[in-house]
Amino acid sequence: MPSLDDICRIAAGSLHSLGRSLAAMAMLWCVTTGQATADDAARRAAFEDQLLPLLRTYCFDCHGEADAVGGISLAKDRTADELRKNRRFWLSAMQQVQLGAMPPADGDSIDPATATRMVKLIDSLANAVDCVQHPNPGRVTLRRLNRIEYRNTVRDLLGVDYKPSEGFPGDDVGYGFDNIGDVLSLPPLLMEKYLTAAEAIAGEAIRTPPPPRLFYFDKRAVDAIDADKYSKRDGRLTMSSHGTVTVQPEVPFLGTFTLRLTAGGSQGGGEPVRVQIKVGDREVAILDVPSEDPEEHEVELRLPRGKRDLSFSFINDFYDPKNKIDRNLDLYHIHIMGTERRQTVLSKSDLPPSHDAILFVQPGGNVSPEQATSQVVSRLASRAFRRPATAEEVKRLSQLAAMVRGDGGTFEESIQVVLQTVLVSPHFLFKVEQPRPSRAGEPRPPVSQYELATRISYFLWSSMPDDELLLMAHRNQLSDRKRLRQKIASMLSDRRSNALVENFASQWLQLRNLEAVDPDRRQFPTFDDQIRQLMQRETLTFFAAVMRQNQPVTTLLDGEFTFLNEKLAKFYQIPGVRGDEFREVSLTGTPRAGLLTQGSVLTVTSNPTRTSPVKRGKWILDNLLNMPPPPAPPNVPELNKETLTGTLRERMEQHRANPSCAACHKVMDPLGFALENFDAVGRWRTLDGGTPIDASGELPDGSRFSGIEDLRQLLTQQRRDQFVRCLIEKMMTYAIGRGVEYYDRCAVDEIFAQMQSKNHRFAYLVAGIIESDPFQKQGERE
Amino acid sequence: MAIQPQQLSRRTVLRGLGTAISLPFLDAMLPTRLLTAAAPDGTAAPLRMAFLYVPNGMHMPAWTPRQEGARYDLPATLQVLAKHQSNINVLSGLTLDGAAAHGDGGGDHARSVAAFLTGSHPRKTDGSDIQNGVSVDQIAAQQIGGKTPFASLELGLEASSQAGRCDSGYSCVYTSNMSWRSPTSPMAKEVDPAAVFQRLFAGQTKTENARAKSVREKYRKSILDFVQEDAQQLSRKLGATDKRKVDEYLYAVRDVEKRLVGAEKLHLTEEGVPDYPRPAGVPKEMGKHAELMLDMTTLALQTDSTRVLSFMFTNAGSNRSYPDLGVSDGHHEVSHHGKSEEKQAKIAKINRFHAEKFAYLLDRMSRVAEGDGTLLDHCMVVYGSGISDGDRHNHDDLPILLAGKGGGRIESGRHIRYKNGTPLCNLYLWMLQQMGANVDHFGDSNGVLDKLS
Repeated sequence: MPSLDDICRIAAGSLHSLGRSLAAMAMLWCVTTGQATADDAARRAAFEDQLLPLLRTYCFDCHGEADAVGGISLAKDRTADELRKNRRFWLSAMQQVQLGAMPPADGDSIDPATATRMVKLIDSLANAVDCVQHPNPGRVTLRRLNRIEYRNTVRDLLGVDYKPSEGFPGDDVGYGFDNIGDVLSLPPLLMEKYLTAAEAIAGEAIRTPPPPRLFYFDKRAVDAIDADKYSKRDGRLTMSSHGTVTVQPEVPFLGTFTLRLTAGGSQGGGEPVRVQIKVGDREVAILDVPSEDPEEHEVELRLPRGKRDLSFSFINDFYDPKNKIDRNLDLYHIHIMGTERRQTVLSKSDLPPSHDAILFVQPGGNVSPEQATSQVVSRLASRAFRRPATAEEVKRLSQLAAMVRGDGGTFEESIQVVLQTVLVSPHFLFKVEQPRPSRAGEPRPPVSQYELATRISYFLWSSMPDDELLLMAHRNQLSDRKRLRQKIASMLSDRRSNALVENFASQWLQLRNLEAVDPDRRQFPTFDDQIRQLMQRETLTFFAAVMRQNQPVTTLLDGEFTFLNEKLAKFYQIPGVRGDEFREVSLTGTPRAGLLTQGSVLTVTSNPTRTSPVKRGKWILDNLLNMPPPPAPPNVPELNKETLTGTLRERMEQHRANPSCAACHKVMDPLGFALENFDAVGRWRTLDGGTPIDASGELPDGSRFSGIEDLRQLLTQQRRDQFVRCLIEKMMTYAIGRGVEYYDRCAVDEIFAQMQSKNHRFAYLVAGIIESDPFQKQGERE
Repeated sequence: MAIQPQQLSRRTVLRGLGTAISLPFLDAMLPTRLLTAAAPDGTAAPLRMAFLYVPNGMHMPAWTPRQEGARYDLPATLQVLAKHQSNINVLSGLTLDGAAAHGDGGGDHARSVAAFLTGSHPRKTDGSDIQNGVSVDQIAAQQIGGKTPFASLELGLEASSQAGRCDSGYSCVYTSNMSWRSPTSPMAKEVDPAAVFQRLFAGQTKTENARAKSVREKYRKSILDFVQEDAQQLSRKLGATDKRKVDEYLYAVRDVEKRLVGAEKLHLTEEGVPDYPRPAGVPKEMGKHAELMLDMTTLALQTDSTRVLSFMFTNAGSNRSYPDLGVSDGHHEVSHHGKSEEKQAKIAKINRFHAEKFAYLLDRMSRVAEGDGTLLDHCMVVYGSGISDGDRHNHDDLPILLAGKGGGRIESGRHIRYKNGTPLCNLYLWMLQQMGANVDHFGDSNGVLDKLS
């Protein structure tokens, strides 16, 4: 059995005729994660005896000490350690060699085998990490709760399901996940929504009588009933003789109201203009209007609920033409306002369970409001902040409550305001971890037990720690491995770990894209929104089964079972499934098994009108093997139109005949072709456009396969370790909230070794991550 | 008969006397909200700027007019704007150098959005050390945003990308956000028209039930003060990167507080809100969704709720299909046309669809009477993409339209061809200076764009 090195050398050599740039993809396929060597002497030898000579030959002419073209000198770092410290620089230099950009074609040409060797040397030296001497556990940036975490936390803290959180601005994604500390931001728009949410949630969790209703009524006199009988001008209604206008306010509650009438009138004749005000038939006031200019007059009215006639009559007309005295009434505006009498008590049946849970002690008897407040606030804040609230915090919040009470608010209302404050506090919205500086080579400090409890619960449940986990933290029991593992196991069986399935698996497998795909209706009429949801559910249920049954993680790739209901089974043309409920269905004897043959994965990796072997190949490389292919060059050259006939495969072969495309496509396409028997919505087919499907392929390292069975075998056997490591790294990214860096290699190696010894069972993946240094300790960013 | 205003309540004046009294008498009322009503004499309508983005470039032969100057034939894509030809300028030759690779490899879509309003070259990262630049709309917002309830508004039709890799090693934060308040803080978009309406006019429309303020509403400001202090204490204890996150929090709290206090001072009443049906939510169909959002755009500018607005039709590299147009392939997929005529025709169809929505916006804006003209006359609206040809992914000779007359500062109705390579940021710099911003440089500008007036 040739070694990996031999294969790579052969692969590199066979591509020689196609140019150095093609070595890129082959190198990526071959240069997978290098082994970290803790041996200083070996590294020194690698640097001085192997890398330096290569640099001297191919690089130093332009990038040596004397000439540093473009300001880039590869001669500055004299030792393996210096190279390692200057990682970023050396990795970008390595990338230039990988892409074939350096050494440039017009200089000393380098053969692919040597280029591969140079790349491997730089990789192993730059990414060398000493796993013995307290490797850096890394540092995650302060993470705010994302949308889903916010909703779950509010639910678990208060029993309130805040659905409008779906309207929060989307959480930006980094490294494939939406819970990455560096990427999550807090724009003002989101803060507005948090405030609105806090108000609504506080009102749901603690019920207080609603604030009194207000009633406003406005009408211009010129718009009143019967106004047309009188003279109207510029918004002023003038009654020159006796008359009445009426308005009809619709009063929502019985109460005392203030009527404000804007009126004036031409005066004369010994008495002021007089207006009679009636409600229905009942006179309620006689108003003197002594001024010619409009003035506001207020009258208090009691009005019952309902529609009422409110009429205004001019009752003392006077006309003396001889002395030029003419008494008239001018009406301008009618305004009514009132406040409902407030309801002050709610019946017990109106109160939700959260109300009593939060207000577990009330003022009364020999408990003063201050004492009750302090106790209630202390418990509320501690649970919300996921650690004991400090005395200072309790004091400040109690003062806030006291202020509300001082302004006339009830005890319940004062706690509502405290709750509102807590829900927008940075200690609630962020997973705060105290900074603990340390230096390289020193033992690294662990995060506190409470901080660890928060990390664990958001990893497994996307929500706050439950009381049991908090108690364990309080008692320092999370450092007890046996107890910790028991708790992890129980958390995984708990329903709340569905969050891990929904949030990790759906992002890892890119299932969230399923909502946006739009398969062509004419070609795929049986694909509808219901199928879309059922497919998603199938995959998530499958993942959940592997998780809860503690199966080996490779079952995700080759498990010969899935979960279907009748509609979905019919879609897949799998017989014998009746009824709406999802149930486990055996796939033995069918070509399907594992994630790769599930409709969800097959659909998100297709185009609307046809399959895309390129997308499928890329999906496998990205998500199952952690080998993302280099991006496509923008200027993909023109295709030869005449020869674009035949099956998809035949057409794509023509593309790959073009050398500048072939390098990358030689890896992606075969993987995708193996899945060609599944159409763009995941149904099995043997023909494509009338031609039988050819699902065979060959990879750059020479491995040949034909169809899905072979592909599965390739992934679960030859590439099994790569898959396991990939899954570890992806889940670690999700669990900690930062991308996996080179120094995490130590932890990944340990988790991998442990999983290997336990048949790769799922629980050891989770426990391994939680017990790892990057999860338990704090280091620094590099 | 003289009427003394002091004796009258504000409501009375507005209700009872209509427009007989000119508004500057009433100092508690800011005339800004009533621009659509009889505008007070002597106050010119304010200048606004808006930026609209479409993805994946254009089919340029159907976009770029053959003739230059004031008499030019509208090519196929631009024909949907025929009614507004006199209101728009087609600008050719503008370039976004920041969006080019410069050795970073793939990721043109992410870069084109990140650079579109910033002119900067974003740092290629999947998460750690995000770094872009400050966008033109946010610079304007910082300088003149205090004059309106909202310093700026960021709208869109697609929420942030939610799954997987967005573009070749660039975090999705670059593909989903084109407005950046600082090199590390993007401004999130609102995609629900009902939510936009609510934000703009909460508690101020005729249909809201009158209710006294609840205790919780009354203490909003106290709560904000309280948590600010919490955050400041926390910030003192944290390291640099964490501090940046808490600073974002603090900025957000202060921003909301400013608006809270400002709203109380403005004593905003119902009268200033145009009679408009409240949107019910997010329509399923993209065209309807776009129109509703563009209605909100018009409303926001018309009521002077803001003078700075950005709008993304989709996120970068959008691969949605447009089956109603007969394009069942994904947009991004089709934009890599490899010179296929069929694909190019499909791209042109999509471009036309987007441009139709732009025409809809211009329709709305030109029907709002304002001062001695229309709302559109007082705006500078940029429409375009950070990519020119979708197959080549080139970032020079970008498809850019400048609509509106900028309060008389723009001579519209022309196709202006600039020397290819002229920074798009020169246009932005010109716009910022028109808004009264004190800047002499923006992004990669090398001067102020000429020939616009």
